[in-house]
This record gives sequence, structure tokens and C-alpha cells, in this order.
Amino acid sequence: MATTCELTLSSDITSSEMNISASTVLKKAELNDDLELIEMGRGTIAESDGSKTAEFGLPTALGVDKAAKLFFVNKATDPTFYIDIDLHDTNVGRLYAGDWMFIPYGMNDVASEFVIEAEPSGAVCPYEFALFQEPQTLVAHS
Amino acid sequence: MATLTPTLTLTSTDATTDQLSFSVTDQLSVTAPHIGLAKIAVTTVGANNIIQPATDGQTYYVYVKHTGVDASGSTVTTTCNVELTGDVVIGKLAAGEFMFMPVGGHSLGVQLQASSGTIVAEYAYFTKA
Repeated sequence: MATTCELTLSSDITSSEMNISASTVLKKAELNDDLELIEMGRGTIAESDGSKTAEFGLPTALGVDKAAKLFFVNKATDPTFYIDIDLHDTNVGRLYAGDWMFIPYGMNDVASEFVIEAEPSGAVCPYEFALFQEPQTLVAHS
Repeated sequence: MATLTPTLTLTSTDATTDQLSFSVTDQLSVTAPHIGLAKIAVTTVGANNIIQPATDGQTYYVYVKHTGVDASGSTVTTTCNVELTGDVVIGKLAAGEFMFMPVGGHSLGVQLQASSGTIVAEYAYFTKA
């Protein structure tokens, strides 16, 4: 169940054009087994919503020493609209309209809570995400 | 002003019964300072492996790759934590894996920490114009 991930970076920031290329197959933590659970979705966050935990952002089920990779994109088209990304109470950075990130995602404990907030005043930001992870332990019937 | 063009492609023919395939790209305006592709032998003390300086309100675009070898060139399967300075763990990279993300708007940098021994990592960062 292999998911192949390829990233290229190219830039004219130097006089000789720079190109970086990387490719990998997403694996479970410290194993050669492929990640097999994919969660994809989309949503919208408005500045008036304040800061919110993303749908996938409550790290309660996966636990420590498990692997997860997160793709997250701000689909806003107004270039002034951005989404602030926090890990619990620590600000990581901003995704402006059209910007995306691809990161290993800890999901170890509450400190890994993935929190988003649209800015500035009046901003409305659609977003999309894909979370690749190891199978979760199913919870008991309530 | 320079442009950074990142492109990410995710494909799978068997992770799901319906084939997964998507690609996303972006055009980012960037400026100095920037670090082109660099290498670091990451140790087990994150504070000793700061690859991107603390921000002063600006945004950096950061790329990190776990090369899968240690400082002696031997293959390793240990993991490399990607952290904000102050030991705030973002996640861990296995051998061969990589990440790309914006960091900024605060006063933290980015550091790497090996789970044991050393891990050679490649990295680059660009400053948002």
C-alpha cells in the first residue's frame, strides 16, 4: 500500500538556477511497512471563528512512536488572507493564500494539537488537508 | 525579487481501491537571506543543531530531508525530530523522508534532533519577500 511522495524546489534566487528534488515512500515509524490510513478533507475557517483545532488535529488516538504525515493547504484566493498554524499554544508559521505545507506530524499528546486561525480581520479561508498515518486503535463501543 | 516554486506530488496505486494522485504547486516570492542546500550531522541535542535562526517576524520556508546515513556514512534507521527551538516537537522524519513548511511570525527557530547517534540531514531555507 505504498504512497509515493515527491517534492521539487526550484528558484532563481541565485545566479545559477537552484533545483532540489526528493522522493520517498511513506513508512510506519521505524518499520519498512507502508502507511495505510489516509484521511482527506476540506473546511473553511473565518477570522470571526477565532482559533480552532482542525478536524484531524486532536492527537488522542495515534499515540507516541507512530508515524504521520500531514499535507495542509490554504485555498483562499485573496493574497492578504492567511492561516496561522499553531501546535497547541506555540505558533509555527503562516500559510498565505495558495501556500501549503507537508510535514511529519507528531500527534503524540496535547502539545501536538493542530490549531488554525484565519487572519486578518474579515478573512475567510477555505482549506484542504490529507493526513497519512498508521492505523488507529479503535475505541470501545460507548 | 526571486521566486521559489515548490511542487508536491503524492501518488499511490494501492493505498486505496481508488487510485490516489494529486499534485500541488505554488509560486513564492523570496529574498535573502537564504541557505541553499546544506548538510548537517544532527546529534541528540536539538539545541546544538539549529538550522534556521529565530525569526524576527519574517517567514522562512524550510526544507529538511533525512538522508538515511550517519556522520560516518553508515546507513541508519533512526529518526530525526524536527522541532522549534525550545524543544517543541513538530514531528519525526524517518530515513529518506522530507518536509517543507513555512515558519515564522514569532521568535523561534528550527532545530533537529537525532533519536540516537548522528543523522546527516540536508536542509534549505528561504525568506519570504
